[in-house]
Amino acid sequence: MADDTPVEKISISGPTLASIIHRFTSSPGDVDGLLFGHVARLPPPDLHDDDPSSAASAASSSPLSATVTGFFCSGSPMGLYDALGRLDLPALRRAFATADHRPPGCCLLGWFSGRRRSPIRPSMREFAVSLSLSKSPILTLDERPSSPHPDLPPKPCIFLLLSSSPSPNHAVHTHEYRAFVFRSMAGGSGALEPRSLDVINVGPAFRGQYSSFSPQSAFPWMPCWPKGVEEGERERGSKKGESLREAERELRLLESSAEGFGLERLERLVGPGAAEYTSEMEDLYTKMLLKLEGLARLVEKSSTRVLEQVIALPLSLKCLVLFDYRYLYLEY
Amino acid sequence: MNQEAKRETAPTSPSSPSSSTTSFDSGGSERDPRPPPSLSPPAPAMSTVLSPLIATQLNYLLAHSPLPLKVGQVWAGSKNGRYADRFTLLVPFCLDYIKWDVIYNAGYPSVPPDIVFPPEDDDFHPLIPVGDVKEEKEGEGEVHMRKSSLSDWNSKDSSRLLALVHELRDLYMRYQKKRIEELDDARLKFEISTILSREGIEVCMISSPDRPEEVKFAVPLLDIDLNKLVLACPWRHQQKIYLQVVFPVHRSYSSAPSAPRIKLVSSSELRSLFSVEDVKLPSWLDGMCMAEYLPNLEENLKTQVLEAVASVGARRRFIEALPSLFGRPLEADPVFCRRATVLVVSGVFTFLVHFSIPTQFPKQQPILTLQSSQHFNSQGTPILSPPINDYPWSPRWDLPEMVERIFDFLVDECLNFKKYCNDTMPQQQ
Repeated sequence: MADDTPVEKISISGPTLASIIHRFTSSPGDVDGLLFGHVARLPPPDLHDDDPSSAASAASSSPLSATVTGFFCSGSPMGLYDALGRLDLPALRRAFATADHRPPGCCLLGWFSGRRRSPIRPSMREFAVSLSLSKSPILTLDERPSSPHPDLPPKPCIFLLLSSSPSPNHAVHTHEYRAFVFRSMAGGSGALEPRSLDVINVGPAFRGQYSSFSPQSAFPWMPCWPKGVEEGERERGSKKGESLREAERELRLLESSAEGFGLERLERLVGPGAAEYTSEMEDLYTKMLLKLEGLARLVEKSSTRVLEQVIALPLSLKCLVLFDYRYLYLEY
Repeated sequence: MNQEAKRETAPTSPSSPSSSTTSFDSGGSERDPRPPPSLSPPAPAMSTVLSPLIATQLNYLLAHSPLPLKVGQVWAGSKNGRYADRFTLLVPFCLDYIKWDVIYNAGYPSVPPDIVFPPEDDDFHPLIPVGDVKEEKEGEGEVHMRKSSLSDWNSKDSSRLLALVHELRDLYMRYQKKRIEELDDARLKFEISTILSREGIEVCMISSPDRPEEVKFAVPLLDIDLNKLVLACPWRHQQKIYLQVVFPVHRSYSSAPSAPRIKLVSSSELRSLFSVEDVKLPSWLDGMCMAEYLPNLEENLKTQVLEAVASVGARRRFIEALPSLFGRPLEADPVFCRRATVLVVSGVFTFLVHFSIPTQFPKQQPILTLQSSQHFNSQGTPILSPPINDYPWSPRWDLPEMVERIFDFLVDECLNFKKYCNDTMPQQQ
């Protein structure tokens, strides 16, 4: 494990932290679960141009930065380990299977535990679980079945401890969290070293990320061009069989994602046919609006006439008419 | 270990070779030690009632543990907060208390508890098998784990928490011992090698950021069972007298090690039989070690304890001699014979005489307090005289003479007391 390579920085995306906290507060009792994310090397503190060997060694031992991007919350307490903090490997594998839709490059980073109104220090079992998790081959073997790549950084074991305590009248809820890195030591033991937790997307330091953001999606590119352009493209595509095949592949992928909702039906909604349909609809709405306006005018005129009559009537009758008038108004 | 608590118990004597005595409150309920402390307060707030399964285990622990354990705060950790499921357990260790936060889960009361240790003990990991990796084989760690009471937790067995707490305390004792053995101090290494085989000895580190590190030894003294010395003994916990020795940690070999701070400690319950405050400790000579110091002290102490036990008989006979002149006592302490109260009438003036008989009776005379039955102060409580212990006394008198002398003294004194009562009353009004 990461015996010699320290994890210097732990980051967590704002939404991930928020959803962990939400999951914790909405649960009736204490919660725990796994943390997923990725590890990267921080730039080495200083590089020597003249000595390539030292630079290489510096790169391999440069501090790591772990970023938590997702989590899996086990539904019951001690769902993933036993009372002595030993891992329940079948349960862990099941947890992996449920969290299988995570993006590529994402691996198990560690685990978290949330307990209400308790000291924000690791308990004896939490320490034992962190130790088992750091020793367990599942962290490395599950993600990298082949021989570990030398360039890839070793996996750390991170422990995130959450605690929340409401004020006596439940007006103020205080949430605390502390992140730790498990560091193995000689003698089969280790230590949970506290690390600061950077929350990505929170604060002005992360403004730059918004401009450099590019979305990644598993959904393929949707071919949707104006008719003429599309034909021209197809003609050109027939010349380049490769790009056509590419388009065909994407189309097939798209159709599998669409699950029966064919491209023809989609074109009726967004293609040139849709434009006529929209204008028809707009025409209908305009006519309906005009009709409604006429009706409103009629009501306005009749109410004025009723009011004039009320003024002319003696006082005793006014109430009655006013009463009727209200009914009249309601009927509209 | 709680540093605050430590500061209270560890004396801060300015001179190093000092000896002092203090009493260690064992926390056992002194007045009525037999029934186990109830965990359900009479009018409980919703969140401090423990979940039934958890309460059964905690009650069993408090009722059956030979250690004077205490429960601090009890609180709820679940969202609805109907049942409390976590509490602070004060575990006696090395003449002090360590605070462990025991965390159950009210939603799943059958799940074994977890414990958060105080921040000073952040490297105490009882679930991790201890020992050198070279010496320890894989199998030994497994054996340790399998032996743990957590490995096959059964929430219906109410003795489980007791087993767990005792197991953890044993491991904690080993952890503290290991910490001290790792210190680079020649004297401490010697002391540990010579004294640690003694049964019941406990050691711990005292470390706080603003004070130099110290090592505390709690050495149980005397092989005699103090509980058996007293007839109809009311003590639930085993009474012991300890010598507390606090060594400063010297990391260099050059400077001569200073003398440790020593004091005698006992539970407050023992005070009704024998007061460790009265023991004069022999002085600690330069270059002495505990193995040299202890035999002399123990012999000395043993004589004093046996004298104190003999004193119970003398006190009993004194109380038995009271009826000849004072009439039957209204109240008397039948076990330690430390207190007796008689009703005295002088003319129309009726008052009570409280005898408070010291442990060193008959060397020291009983302390008398008079309490009027007819005069009350503005709060409505009877007027009491100041304690009187300067009346004529000789330990060589026989018991009937002692009683007679006290009676004679009171005949005169009651007039003074009556005057005192009458003087006090108008002032109050």
